[in-house]
Amino acid sequence: MKLIRSIYVIATAGVALGFASCSASGDHPGYEYAPQMYNSVAYEPLTQIVNEDEGKWVSTREDEKGEFFNSNINNPHRMNMREPVANTVPRTKDGLLPYRLKAFELEKAAELENPVELTDEVLEDGRLLFLQYCKACHGINGEGDGLAGEVIGGVANLKGGAYVDLPEGHIFHVIMKGKGRMGAHGTQIPQERIWKIVHYVKQEIQKQ
Amino acid sequence: MSIKRSLLSVPLRISTLAMVLFLMIGAQAFAAHPDVSDSEEAIAAGKTLFNANCKTCHKLDQKYTGPALRGVTERRTIDWAKNFIKNSSALIASGDAQAVAIYKEFNNLAMPSHTFLSDTDLENLLSYIEYGDKGSSDAEASAGEGSEASSGGSGVPSEYLTIIISVMVVVLLLILIVLGLIISVLTKYLNNQNLDEDEKEFINQKFDFGKILKSDAFVIIVTALVIALVAKTAIDGLYSVGIQQGYAPKQPIAFSHQLHAGQYEIECQYCHTGVELGKSANIPSANICMNCHTHIQNVEGKDGISPEIQKIYNAVENNEPIEWVRIHNLPDLAYFNHAQHVAVGGIDCQTCHGQIQEMEVVHQHSSLTMGWCIDCHRQTNINTAGNEYYDKLVQLHSDSKNALKVKDIGGLECAKCHY
Repeated sequence: MKLIRSIYVIATAGVALGFASCSASGDHPGYEYAPQMYNSVAYEPLTQIVNEDEGKWVSTREDEKGEFFNSNINNPHRMNMREPVANTVPRTKDGLLPYRLKAFELEKAAELENPVELTDEVLEDGRLLFLQYCKACHGINGEGDGLAGEVIGGVANLKGGAYVDLPEGHIFHVIMKGKGRMGAHGTQIPQERIWKIVHYVKQEIQKQ
Repeated sequence: MSIKRSLLSVPLRISTLAMVLFLMIGAQAFAAHPDVSDSEEAIAAGKTLFNANCKTCHKLDQKYTGPALRGVTERRTIDWAKNFIKNSSALIASGDAQAVAIYKEFNNLAMPSHTFLSDTDLENLLSYIEYGDKGSSDAEASAGEGSEASSGGSGVPSEYLTIIISVMVVVLLLILIVLGLIISVLTKYLNNQNLDEDEKEFINQKFDFGKILKSDAFVIIVTALVIALVAKTAIDGLYSVGIQQGYAPKQPIAFSHQLHAGQYEIECQYCHTGVELGKSANIPSANICMNCHTHIQNVEGKDGISPEIQKIYNAVENNEPIEWVRIHNLPDLAYFNHAQHVAVGGIDCQTCHGQIQEMEVVHQHSSLTMGWCIDCHRQTNINTAGNEYYDKLVQLHSDSKNALKVKDIGGLECAKCHY
């Protein structure tokens, strides 16, 4: 009688501990009630399951792979994410065409004009974008004293004599393609936003 | 003469003495050209110019992005130095052997031209380069020591707490011993009195643990407690199914947000470029790492290439993806858009992701359950100021006593997130 009761207690405790291990910690992401509703059937660019056996226990697939395996076997490294097709042009709202000048064509770029109209809003946008993308190296005031910039070394002081008179197209090109020790930021910041940063650099940081 | 001055003006410390010794050696190594003025005005004017135009790449006594400059007028002619500062690319293009050599030594990195500097400017600059700030690196070092020393001394309260607790434990133990002694003294005293049998039995009774353990009341209480505990663990466990709060997987590269976003204050958007533009915040591709890590090959000035940073180089070289482990996995049945929340709603990253800038290894901070979403939608006010899109809504809502919340503009509708 007493023995049976203690067996019950221990069993319930065991089940409870089993549930407790359902929660996530460290490398263990935990479990789901209905994993079919959690995992995407379609290819997802930023969530892909590379293990072919994942979800084999509920699999209804004809290729006999796991139900949740969703990597694209036709791509290099089975990546779902792809670069845009070569020589295609994205349709953008503002209609800016891809930037075609090469990194060395700095002199040609210097003739470019800023397509973004200068308004107070654009300046404020530019200020925020400058803080996001430039501050780490060039510093809050553009004096080349950002915390990361001091480790990299050789960061331009945007208020220095060699830089204050540079045309807007030059600044745009350098952000887009990089120059000297600065890397190319064209893949990170859309063109329109770069032009906003250019406005901010010219109007606020380099104002004389 | 500058050595004498620095000895008098700087407090005598071991580091200072070491610096002075170093300077004596330095002074012997670099004798400046006699035409370079050592007047204080020239040095001061040169310092201003140097800080505005040169300091991000050059140091006076140390190789940095560009060469160490002190002694340049001894190594080269003054005219050469002026020409190089003004337009180094022209000098290199003309085939000047010394200019080409230095260009090659520093990885073909061209110095911008400084044609805007006048001849006087250049002379002042050279004065500063030769005579300026001879003790400056010493001053920096002692300033560094000072700031380190002042940033201690906030760990006292926890130590006090430990001491207080241990003292209290000792006091309680003493009280227990004293009480035990009092009981035994009283028992002895009462046994010596003339008492009847009943009273004697009462005094000398033993504390029977076995009896209590077997009593019904005890068994019922313990069983009830165990069942309650087991039930609570089971229910908590069931609720934690499908919630990945606290998930902190090991990543292929031991990237530290604490170092990048915390110590070096790089904004989240620098790497997570999609956060204001689209559904996903995006994981940066290796070329974004390389903007800095082309130059930064190790942490905190150690030699060689860090094995973790080497992994980026390998990925770039072999054109292979870095397979980061996704931490925040929203189920496929729910839609979430970063741009809507960050760019439109103006919510800080930390509101949902926690103090990322303090995390060495990132873990999931919020539960990301539907209840958690809805809770925020019920409580968050809409910022309608200066946005005419909301004018009609604000007008319609003006009868209500409560502020306009996210729930009032569809924040609770099923199909906003589930479709």
